[in-house]
Amino acid sequence: MIRKEIVLPAGRDEVWDALTDAERLEDWFANDVELDLRPGGGASFRWANGEERHAVVTEVDPERRLAFDWDDDGTVEFTLDDAADGTRLVVIESSPAWSTALELQASALARV
Amino acid sequence: MTQPDQLGVVFGALADASRRQVIGYLSERGTATATELTGELPMTRQAVAKHLATLADAGLVESERQGRETRYRLTQAGSEWDDRLDSLRRHLERRRR
Repeated sequence: MIRKEIVLPAGRDEVWDALTDAERLEDWFANDVELDLRPGGGASFRWANGEERHAVVTEVDPERRLAFDWDDDGTVEFTLDDAADGTRLVVIESSPAWSTALELQASALARV
Repeated sequence: MTQPDQLGVVFGALADASRRQVIGYLSERGTATATELTGELPMTRQAVAKHLATLADAGLVESERQGRETRYRLTQAGSEWDDRLDSLRRHLERRRR
């Protein structure tokens, strides 16, 4: 599991917009985005290098929480909270296959 | 959902002492090219390249092309999110102007 946290210089409404508006996602996340923002809705992301990933939206709680499942493997959850100077965004991504790989790698390294 | 095949690939990759040496070196130095690894480890360049490919298939090592050379490093979980969140922050800053 990966957990990342950042305080962004914008209100929750603005951050929510950046996370859920396809056109805005195309400015920072991927080159081509399609997003059907409702639980069960589909999402497609395409990057300039030809990479393409698909997901299904699992949770939509406006300005609070957004979650989706990658169709290849893993889940992503965004949580938004007010911070003193903007919005605290927490991202949690988990993927059964690589968390196992990373744990094994860590235990292998401990012995090197 | 467990993926026994992927697990098998990871165990296989770690089961070899030479590959563990490659992991150990990358862990110490951060990144290396196949040529640098060949100079440091008691293996032929061909063997190094084969081991790197096996480790990459298992998701333990990732590569990045820098000009004419390819540099290898241990897979860093979440480093792509650092880049994405940085890019989100810049996106929001652009909108404020």
